Amino acid sequence: MAAPRKLSMKQRYAALTRDLDWDLSYVDEDTAYPYTSFEGIKIHDWSKWEDPFRLTIDAYMKYQAEKDKRLYAVLDSFAQGQGHLQLTDPSYLNAMKLFLQGVTPLEYQAHRNFAYLARFLNGPGPRFAALCQSQDELRHAQTEIHTLSNYNKYYQGFHSWNHQHDRVWYLSVPKSYFDDAVTAGPFEFLIAIGFSFEYLLTNLLFVPFMSGASFNGDLPTMTFGFSAQSDESRHMTLGLEAIKFMLEQDPDNVPIVQAWIDKWFWRGYRLLALVSQMLDYMLPRKVMSWKEAFELYFEEQMLGGLFPDLAYYGITPPRHVEHAIAEKEVLSHQVYWTLYQFSFAAGFTTTVPSEDAQKWLAEQYPQTFEKLYKPLWDKASAVVDNGGRYFYQGLPQLCQVCQVPMLFTEPGDPTTICQRHTEFEGERYDFCSDGCQWIFEREPEKYVQAWLPVHQIYQGNCGGPTVPDVLAWYKLQPGDNGEIAGNVEQTAWEAWHATSSAEEQAPAPVAGN
Amino acid sequence: MAVRSIGEYKFPSRSRQELYGDDQLVHLWWKGNLWFCAAACFRAPKAMSWNDFVAGMVNPLFSCDPDFDAATTTFTWTVDDKPVSPAGDESLEALGVGHKSLITCVAA
Repeated sequence: MAAPRKLSMKQRYAALTRDLDWDLSYVDEDTAYPYTSFEGIKIHDWSKWEDPFRLTIDAYMKYQAEKDKRLYAVLDSFAQGQGHLQLTDPSYLNAMKLFLQGVTPLEYQAHRNFAYLARFLNGPGPRFAALCQSQDELRHAQTEIHTLSNYNKYYQGFHSWNHQHDRVWYLSVPKSYFDDAVTAGPFEFLIAIGFSFEYLLTNLLFVPFMSGASFNGDLPTMTFGFSAQSDESRHMTLGLEAIKFMLEQDPDNVPIVQAWIDKWFWRGYRLLALVSQMLDYMLPRKVMSWKEAFELYFEEQMLGGLFPDLAYYGITPPRHVEHAIAEKEVLSHQVYWTLYQFSFAAGFTTTVPSEDAQKWLAEQYPQTFEKLYKPLWDKASAVVDNGGRYFYQGLPQLCQVCQVPMLFTEPGDPTTICQRHTEFEGERYDFCSDGCQWIFEREPEKYVQAWLPVHQIYQGNCGGPTVPDVLAWYKLQPGDNGEIAGNVEQTAWEAWHATSSAEEQAPAPVAGN
Repeated sequence: MAVRSIGEYKFPSRSRQELYGDDQLVHLWWKGNLWFCAAACFRAPKAMSWNDFVAGMVNPLFSCDPDFDAATTTFTWTVDDKPVSPAGDESLEALGVGHKSLITCVAA
């Protein structure tokens, strides 16, 4: 018998992906794939889906295993070498707590919904691409958990992230964002997550956390970032392919896709409010300002690069994008100022920015920081000097759509909070912006169901009527929340470093012993 | 535009007034004072008098601002953008405060 012929990559791809598909004979296509018509998207030929990577399952498994091996070797050596002591400051980990609580559960949600697409898209090409992405997302959730679990031994705030994702007020922002996406149809999900989240906004979400890690001595997270990077670039390509596929299949798809871009740009942008403050306030050693990141990754790369290409299909830049551009001067300051006053109920800690940090903020934001925000920090410092600490004595008004406290200001007027309201079936609903109001008015039936943390507390669904009841229901432990100065984490850090510098002064073992 | 869905899509509001019994949600916004990052949300009885609202909800919140003095800081008030001059015994309901209404004050 002749030795089996070795197939080329292209042939292997065809054999292992498309050739595994078959024509249905027992049921018709609509019965087998019941969810790809109700959104109004028309697909005439599923075989037109292009697979830019031509990945096969055996190659996929081999690459991922290699990447995992490298990552886990780094995690082991970091843990054995007490690598956590090399961080710039324990307050850096606030960024990682936010990541673990806010982003990791989204990876798992993405895993689930891409698994659904891997079953329910009609074409074998997109089904296989969704299958790979589903496995990537599961791997990301797992490797993020393993990467950050090392810190759980020594620091506060890492113990109940998954529990908190479903309960804590600021985490309802990412949670509701993804709930909105997974309860939409498969095509809207592809635009929401595949395109908007993984393409349009990914460099503003993922890169800041990973660069923050590399600037602040967090080798494990940086290595995780490298391990996920090739997956992320595949996801970006998939997101772009998804949108082009929909636009090329039928001109009637264009207005539907445009409305989803409009919606999911603003939804994603509001979610990034949490990232903006992380870049400008949470990182002890700064990477770049939010404003700089937004200009580079969004204005330059997306508005300057992507949208001119999409104009060919009749797609225009997202609605309300001008508000996002104008907000870059004020966004991070408003968000961190909010977290500062509500961190008694958060799974991370906050503090008045140091003198150096404020100097950096003033340089990055010459138009706004000294005029609008420094006076607030000076006043908060004076409260601290008098032995107090400013925490908001109450609960905030929330936006019905993005669920962020209504902290954003009017376009063009950074001193007046933006208040928008819509009445629907006799009830009043509040919004932080024109963008969120527009999203509600498009689909009010969806957003009237919003699980707004503040309203749920008042309905008695969150552990009890008092703040301690709610914090217990959140599973917050002492030291997880509140002020950075004097926190148990800071005290432990100082003690560890006092010990290690004493050890450094001790005689070193003689080489060769 | 309605939600495009695979079946009937009709759900009640998760924050409708009836879920709060004789109470309602009330928003309080000190306009122009950025010390407070956002307006507050309270659960308050519809029949609550203005005096009780000020003593039990407004003043404890505003006292977080070191520049606030309940005795000397005076405000002009609006309820859902309509100017009001609240008197002590008047109930919130009588003042026109409904479920999720916005009570706004500006320091005089």
